[in-house]
Amino acid sequence: MVNLYFEPFIIPFIVGVVVLFSVMWTKFISWISALPQSDRRMMRSGIFSVATVVGALWEAFRECLLHLKIGRVNGRLWYMHTSLAFGWFLLIAFGKAEAILYLKTPVVPIYVDVFFRKYFPFAHVGAFGFIMDALLLFVLSGLVAAVVKRFRPSVYGMRRTTDHTLGDKLALSALWCIFPLRLLAESFNSAIYDSGSFLTGSLGALWALLLPSRSLPYINEVLWWCYSVSLGLFFVSVPISRYLHIFAEIPLIFLRSFKVRASVRATTFTKLQRAACSRCGICIDPCQLSAEGISLDTQSVYLLRDERAKGATLAKADSCLMCGRCQSVCPVGIELDVIRTSVRHDRRKATSSFDYGYLDTVHVPLATSKVGFFSGCMGRLTPSVAASMRAIAIRSGVDIWFIDEAEGICCGRPQRMAGNLDAADRMRERNEELFVESGIDTLVTSCPICLRTFREDYHLNGIRLLHHSQFIAELMEQGRLDVERGAASFAYHDPCELGRGLGIYDEPRVVLGNIGRLEEVARSRDKALCCGGSLAHLGLDMAQRDRIAAGVCAEFEATGADFIVTSCPMCKKSLSRSTETRVIDIAEAVKMAVGVEEA
Amino acid sequence: MEKAVADIHKGSSGTVAKKFGFTVKSGRAIDIDAADMSVADEVMARVPSWSLCIGCGGCTATCTAGAFADYNFRRLHLMVRRGEVTGLRGRLSACMLCGKCVLQCPRGVNTRGVIAALMELLPRD
Repeated sequence: MVNLYFEPFIIPFIVGVVVLFSVMWTKFISWISALPQSDRRMMRSGIFSVATVVGALWEAFRECLLHLKIGRVNGRLWYMHTSLAFGWFLLIAFGKAEAILYLKTPVVPIYVDVFFRKYFPFAHVGAFGFIMDALLLFVLSGLVAAVVKRFRPSVYGMRRTTDHTLGDKLALSALWCIFPLRLLAESFNSAIYDSGSFLTGSLGALWALLLPSRSLPYINEVLWWCYSVSLGLFFVSVPISRYLHIFAEIPLIFLRSFKVRASVRATTFTKLQRAACSRCGICIDPCQLSAEGISLDTQSVYLLRDERAKGATLAKADSCLMCGRCQSVCPVGIELDVIRTSVRHDRRKATSSFDYGYLDTVHVPLATSKVGFFSGCMGRLTPSVAASMRAIAIRSGVDIWFIDEAEGICCGRPQRMAGNLDAADRMRERNEELFVESGIDTLVTSCPICLRTFREDYHLNGIRLLHHSQFIAELMEQGRLDVERGAASFAYHDPCELGRGLGIYDEPRVVLGNIGRLEEVARSRDKALCCGGSLAHLGLDMAQRDRIAAGVCAEFEATGADFIVTSCPMCKKSLSRSTETRVIDIAEAVKMAVGVEEA
Repeated sequence: MEKAVADIHKGSSGTVAKKFGFTVKSGRAIDIDAADMSVADEVMARVPSWSLCIGCGGCTATCTAGAFADYNFRRLHLMVRRGEVTGLRGRLSACMLCGKCVLQCPRGVNTRGVIAALMELLPRD
């Protein structure tokens, strides 16, 4: 006869565990089985690769338990998350080990090791008493940190922390009760049986001193019940709260290592990513819309929260610069911009109807060179950039064909970011035809917005895609463009689409370093600020955009540089409205340095 | 001469009128009873900067889609403001949402916001 160790007080705990795992597995299995064919094929090929699986396991250990990515963003926050997650994990693991060693059987029901002290008050297994007390103290310190964070986020250097849903608050309350109740229950056990280590033992001695010994067993019984109820309540509320992330992050890490990705046309992988959001709120402070007080409830954490609950409104999805600053700090690595685009697409697809039949009548002039230069729509409003490129081309003796000198079709990225994917695809298809038919082998653009969609979405038969800063850097490296280092100083602004979007940080700096003194602003590279002009935001008016730009310009003015240099026509336009310092494109800076006259 | 005058009065493609650079259009009155202001009111509520428009036409002058197709955003949004909303959705559909109109607008109107709102609100033809 197997001993089941049944006691009535474990019922709330058992109910919680059963509800949690049945709801959770139903969700996860239904999401994974509803993945598109191509994703499932990737899963099947990845799951048999030992290296991939081991890599995913290692990542799950690092990120779900040790939270190393949070550590890179915020040390105090890291302590809070790690002490709770890793501490609790160790409590469970060591608890299990203690029970196995004590009962001398590998099969111990889960509730026996969770309520081990209640079942076996006299058990004494090596140093386990001390270890378990130390671990409990570790978790409790994390709990104190969590309480402080909730009421005083500034202690963690955070301006704002997340506003929670009812489910979150329920789970949070239960979670906050679990460990203090465990401490109390175990200490009353110690009070009765005169056991326990430095924490539970000392507290127990105090209870024995203060309370009549007759009352101790009753209080003890109530406390173990409360501990069981708080655990059960927490488990039941996990699927309806942010704490689903504890479990959702594991399949997310595995699927990601199998190269499954979110899509702008949402799949069930999007649902898994949404569930993996811990609502830690790290994405809130980097958001310039939050910092400028323009919108306080549209940040990624709130978009995902609303999507999980009832579906976010289009207005909420639209209110975002898609600068990628939140995505670059997200400790879970959620594809925030792709998910936001998919929400916009979903909310917009019923009403948006674009008709680009006229695109077939658009043609480009005959190519005069193998190197094509595409200004893009924004570039066409900053003609000095193309003019500078023309001058640079003449000076370095290369032929450039200016594709959209007369007019050109939009690259489609603005429509893509608005969620009008079919419209964007129609423009992409026609541009692909025109570029490929023209016979060019290199396509240079001064617009990071165009470049990003060319690289990510276009199929261009191997045409080399370059940003003009990369093209100029190449000319310099090949010795075709001779420059002398001047006295001017340049503070370089990383455009979002070029930097965080495409990872192009170095070439512009090399170019500027060759022609003058390069200054860095306080926040640059992957921490660079958005100019505020972003085409991704459909709701901002010019006054709000200027407010964002003014904040950015202030950082640049602090460097004292002669010029603010950017390499995006949109950024140039936005920033130049908000500063007295001259804002120029990198091509203009080079043209000035080589001293060529307008061609 | 008589023919030319007749052409002017026809208000279509008379040679004189063409050379002169203007055409004479037949009279056109706004029927206030038929005007549907609901779309304009809703767009104005969503995009307050629309009220700053002075109708300069810069948006249309710079428009990428307008270079290729018969698409005139200035005319289109002014018709919405007059309450003449039928038949506009199809005309709006040429827009590429590229954003040049926003950048050049001297009044800082969020024209793309207006277009996005119109796409949602204009009646289906």
